[in-house]
Amino acid sequence: MPIRKLPDAPPSVHILGPTVFLVALGVGMGESYMWPRLVLLFGPEIRWLFLIGVTLQAVVMLEMARYAMATGESIFSGAARVFKPLMWFFFVVAILVYIWPGHLSAGAAAFEEITGIPWTVTAVTGLILVGVVFSLAKVIYNVLENVLSLLIGALVLGTAVVAAMVGSWSDVVTTITGMFSFGYLPSEALTAAWFPVIVGACAFAGPSGMQQMWYTLHLRDSGAGMGVHIPKVRGLRHAGEEEEMPSRGFMFDTEDPAEMAKWRGWRRWVTFDALLLFWGITMLVTISFTVIAQAAVRQNPAVRTAIQGDDREVALSAMSDAVASAGSAVLGTIFLGFIALIGLNATLGLFDSFSRGQADMTHNFVPGAKKVKMSYLYAGFLWGVIIFGILILLFGPADGPSGILDTLAFLSTFAMGAYCVTLLLVNNRMLPKPIRPKWWTNAIIGFGAVFYLGMLFYSLFAFGVVVG
Amino acid sequence: MNLRHSLELALPGVLIGAVAGAIAGGLTLLVGQPSGLVLAVPLAIFGGLYGTLLGKGFFRPGAFGPAGLYWMLAFPVARLIQESLTGLGMRDGVLLFLAYQALVSVGFAIGFIWMHERIMPHWLLRRAGDNPRAAALLDSYVQQARRISR
Repeated sequence: MPIRKLPDAPPSVHILGPTVFLVALGVGMGESYMWPRLVLLFGPEIRWLFLIGVTLQAVVMLEMARYAMATGESIFSGAARVFKPLMWFFFVVAILVYIWPGHLSAGAAAFEEITGIPWTVTAVTGLILVGVVFSLAKVIYNVLENVLSLLIGALVLGTAVVAAMVGSWSDVVTTITGMFSFGYLPSEALTAAWFPVIVGACAFAGPSGMQQMWYTLHLRDSGAGMGVHIPKVRGLRHAGEEEEMPSRGFMFDTEDPAEMAKWRGWRRWVTFDALLLFWGITMLVTISFTVIAQAAVRQNPAVRTAIQGDDREVALSAMSDAVASAGSAVLGTIFLGFIALIGLNATLGLFDSFSRGQADMTHNFVPGAKKVKMSYLYAGFLWGVIIFGILILLFGPADGPSGILDTLAFLSTFAMGAYCVTLLLVNNRMLPKPIRPKWWTNAIIGFGAVFYLGMLFYSLFAFGVVVG
Repeated sequence: MNLRHSLELALPGVLIGAVAGAIAGGLTLLVGQPSGLVLAVPLAIFGGLYGTLLGKGFFRPGAFGPAGLYWMLAFPVARLIQESLTGLGMRDGVLLFLAYQALVSVGFAIGFIWMHERIMPHWLLRRAGDNPRAAALLDSYVQQARRISR
């Protein structure tokens, strides 16, 4: 790679940055529904698995950032440098898993409960709105960072206030101490009915599927590290202003002590992101939701029965009713409002991330695609997934054809194990020695691969079910 | 004049505090329960006080630590006012109630700072021409931004 100067690192303590995307994508159904549900079923002690899942994701985030900040390339390009079919594997998995608009359904269904507007109307309107906003934006990253920051701010503020009103000291103490009951697995958890659900919840602790890989693209567009040398992706209306994309990333002089000092500054900056913003906010939101769920069961024991069922909408509705009975009727509505907000965050983040990732791989690795501006490729994938989504919402199964649902759930979790292996290969083989990961970081990422793939295959072979 | 200048700096914090209170309860007015409004008022006052203290240099723009400590005191007080006036009751007694609220306040403080740092610079840009305090605070934000992007 050509050598260029590494920019100076910003102060490590900061509040705004690309982590907002990972938080927006990561704080989803896992935090608001799956884990509170498991706590109600198996007790707060089951949360040790959540602690491991989110901590693992924080380390994955740091390692994803290592390659992206050192080169300005996405992890997909790194994977292609190691073994090109690996990159194509992620390209295909992204299409298979993320083109189905099912992720819109929980948020839109919650919105339907509040307003009475049919969820398909909300979902289709939301899809078109996302396409128009991202097409008109001058620099998509800036618009999205601003919007998601406000939405997440509202979510964090709101869940904290609701938890303050309905929860108690003992709720929060059991929720937190439960995280340290390492090894706790009641016999009911090791059954065909519940083990796959636990595997799914572990995969949804923090960002799931390919979301961590997309974070490298947001990091680059925010100008972090060597990403400063790569032009930003623009909206369709401003595509003409886009500078030419370089065909490869850059590297800084790792033999120069001044450059290495700047590198350490960037590592401190991203470590703050990973530990306080990502880990901290994900923990806070999930603790708040767990406290709310515990308060809900205390108020109305019927919630426990409702939540045991597989129907997510019924369970969320029961939790909303119980929250309402704890405070006032409107608190229940507000709870559903949070679910709708989480759905909106995920939709905004997912559509942008998917389009960004596919455009990046197409631009760099499909012959002839370099002639097309990155902004046009981005718009093509964005509008492609939007139009497909609208057609499926109107005429097809939102989550994907029932015959392949298991395969999609398998691929989503498998991709997480696969990116841990990819990270080990890319960071240890493609980066110069002075900036390679330490042995203990490699050990944690290796553990991640075993954790995700091990649970997935154990569930598959022991119970014949992939992910619940 | 000085009072107006200070109040203008308080406005974003007042707005965030009021909206946060309204999220959880202000809307209860719609169902005939004024308890939410009771929380929105102290949160708005403490939010505004934060903006005023920021203008006076007690806090640094974007710094979380001091703001976290501030809300660790202010948030439980706001909730205590709400519970005392609406009489919903404190199951575990006052001390455990306050301890729990202080714990939850960390989440509230992160959300508050996160929102404040988004809204305040835009508001200062609008008011800097007529308000010397806003101009001075805007200058500290600009210096901070320069440090970040140097």
